Amino acid sequence: MGVRLAAEEGFQPPSTADFELPPVFADNPFTTKPVFLVFFSVILISTFFILASRKASVVPSKLQFAGESIYGFVRNDLARDVIGHEFMRFVPYLFTLFTFILTNNLFGIIPFLQFPTMSRVSFPYVLALFTFVIFHYVAIKHKGLMAYLKEIMFMPGVPKPVYVLLTPIEVATYFIVRPLTLSLRLFANMFAGHLLLLVFILGGEHLLQGAIGLKLVSPFAFAFGIALTFFEFMVQCLQAYIFTLLTALYIAGALADEH
Amino acid sequence: MSGKNSDNENLSNSQNEENALWSIVGYLLSGLLIWGGIGWGLDRWLGTTYLVLVGMLLGAGASIYLVWLRFGRD
Repeated sequence: MGVRLAAEEGFQPPSTADFELPPVFADNPFTTKPVFLVFFSVILISTFFILASRKASVVPSKLQFAGESIYGFVRNDLARDVIGHEFMRFVPYLFTLFTFILTNNLFGIIPFLQFPTMSRVSFPYVLALFTFVIFHYVAIKHKGLMAYLKEIMFMPGVPKPVYVLLTPIEVATYFIVRPLTLSLRLFANMFAGHLLLLVFILGGEHLLQGAIGLKLVSPFAFAFGIALTFFEFMVQCLQAYIFTLLTALYIAGALADEH
Repeated sequence: MSGKNSDNENLSNSQNEENALWSIVGYLLSGLLIWGGIGWGLDRWLGTTYLVLVGMLLGAGASIYLVWLRFGRD
């Protein structure tokens, strides 16, 4: 920011460079802001849910009610409705996934933190990898390896030559497109959202330093920035929900007996 | 995913539709990508330029056929 203000070559629009934050400690590349944010989110989530569940009572406190609402939402609306009667096995993973992504997304609009961790693509990649391994493992355990591969590759009731056309698509869907779209959807939404906020807030700041006419326009840029912050809040919740929903759908597909 | 099995019997209809919706997007996307990719690779190999288009059209057609097979015929 300081550098940005000092530069006198006009407005520099925010770019991908704004996402490449320098390491905090010397040259250790593992000490950047997103890494600290991830650890902070784990502490935050753990503290919140331990406090919310510690003194559980029949008449819940506000904290307990908040914690149970989130848990109930993931367990009933996501896990149970999508997966069916074996859903309890997967609730811990889905719940962790949802709260982790939601918290890290919300960091994007929380003052002073203001960086969505998931806008660095490695984090969604790892989360998608977890989901990828889990739903394939569940399917292989449930159906057996060969039966599962046969189900993916050869769908019944098709003349044999058509398999040449269809099998690559099925294999690509299950092994490439699913994990890739899962991670990239989350990454791209967080990346674009953060960039959008940077444009309006930094643009408003730049206008404020311009001529009097520009100063007058600047509040509109800030107002838009604030409106977009609320919009971002919606997107951040939605993306956490969609990631968890798709994970549940993939697990449900892995448990389904036939297509 | 067809809803014929016991696991999914208690699923609501809208949930099944949601499931189908996401799967369809995935199939259409991978149809384009995989056959477009094969066409692109053949183009590089043979020095032609039209096979990537042929591959993408083929992939789009095949994936629509696949979607019909999975979700259309009941």
